[in-house]
Amino acid sequence: MDYSRQALADHLAADYVTGTLRGPARRRFEKLLPAHPSLRTAVDQWQARLMPLTLGLQPQKPPAVVWTRIEQRIGGAPSSKPAAAQRSPWWSQLFVWRGLSVALTVAAVSLSVLLANPGPAQPPVVVVLSATSAPAGGVVPATFVASISSDGRAMVTRPLVNVSLEANRALELWALPASGAPPRSLGLISEKGTTVLKKGEVLKGASGLAVSLEPPGGSPTGAPTGPVLYVGKLNT
Amino acid sequence: MPPPQDWSERSKDLSQLLARAGLGDRAAFAALYDKTSSHLFAVVLRINRDRAQAEDILQEVYVNVWRAASGFDAAQAQPLTWLTSIARNRAIDSLRRAQTQPQLQAAVANDDEETDVYDAVADETPGPLELLSRAADARALSHCMQGLTAQQRQSVALAFYDGLSHAEVAEKMRQPLGTVKSWVRRALMALKSCLEHAALGEA
Repeated sequence: MDYSRQALADHLAADYVTGTLRGPARRRFEKLLPAHPSLRTAVDQWQARLMPLTLGLQPQKPPAVVWTRIEQRIGGAPSSKPAAAQRSPWWSQLFVWRGLSVALTVAAVSLSVLLANPGPAQPPVVVVLSATSAPAGGVVPATFVASISSDGRAMVTRPLVNVSLEANRALELWALPASGAPPRSLGLISEKGTTVLKKGEVLKGASGLAVSLEPPGGSPTGAPTGPVLYVGKLNT
Repeated sequence: MPPPQDWSERSKDLSQLLARAGLGDRAAFAALYDKTSSHLFAVVLRINRDRAQAEDILQEVYVNVWRAASGFDAAQAQPLTWLTSIARNRAIDSLRRAQTQPQLQAAVANDDEETDVYDAVADETPGPLELLSRAADARALSHCMQGLTAQQRQSVALAFYDGLSHAEVAEKMRQPLGTVKSWVRRALMALKSCLEHAALGEA
């Protein structure tokens, strides 16, 4: 970045943080931020410089109702159990599950194609794995569908759209224990077609499924090593 | 540039709480709220003086913090800086909406040419310049603020604390818009360079 552009970025960031950048210009600037690290850095620096000014303000205790409303918004009463601290962020994030109801409709349609044989008396469990925002070179955002037999002993996975994968990469499926314990490998799955996995009780104790990008042959460590590309919640 | 000492001291244990909140720990999030909400409410209330709106803004801020906590990077920013920035941005955005449906402050009712909005509420609300001196424990920043001209200081204080736009600052200070813009800009650049020198001096 040449000097004049850098100076302009710094001026804009200063105006933004001071609050004098307003209206449409402020909104445009905010849209630029995620894609422009240098702008982001300038903003971070100005925030670090100026925010201590707010120490001069007399603290104002907000009324209790604010916290009550926040608790309602974030779902549920506060829990004091520190067990949650064991969870990794990406599979405990509620927003990951958002929008799944829409995707489930898609899944229900594709399931009729997916399951060649008539199902058992109990309907299979269907899990839609949506693409996360994890960066992965060459991987097209897509959705996986996993259907699990009602006894939890077999699973069929299939991408709704073919995923293009680099030759030296593989997709590995993981069960995410509800307890917050580390993910359990269920094996490698095909990025193109149907994969049938036969495992004892794949669902046992699991609250979700995830697919990570791994070296050929799967994760060498027994835990996901690559970015998590798809994640879905078990609808039990 | 290392931020002033006390700011980082205060930020230190907040990092822990924020990290745990990012992992879904509600108790940590509640503790974070206890430790920071009075500060953020003051920041918001100073910019948007409508208490009901300020409460709504504070609510939005913490719901956002809960959702974004896992994305907080302690290597990039101090937690109190991060939290305060979120609160300020929300408050400034709320002003934009409020402007389309103008809100009358109580102080405006008996407003005339001679009345300063700060005089009207002076009893409970310190003026921006007083706030600057109260921030004195943010030592390097305070020292650098002293290096500004009175007009530069006042223009920055009005913009930063009260969320006034350039045009509003110009109106309040009864100065041409261009003059005020250049005061603010020069003030910020002088602050930046002063803080960078201060950081070098400490190193």
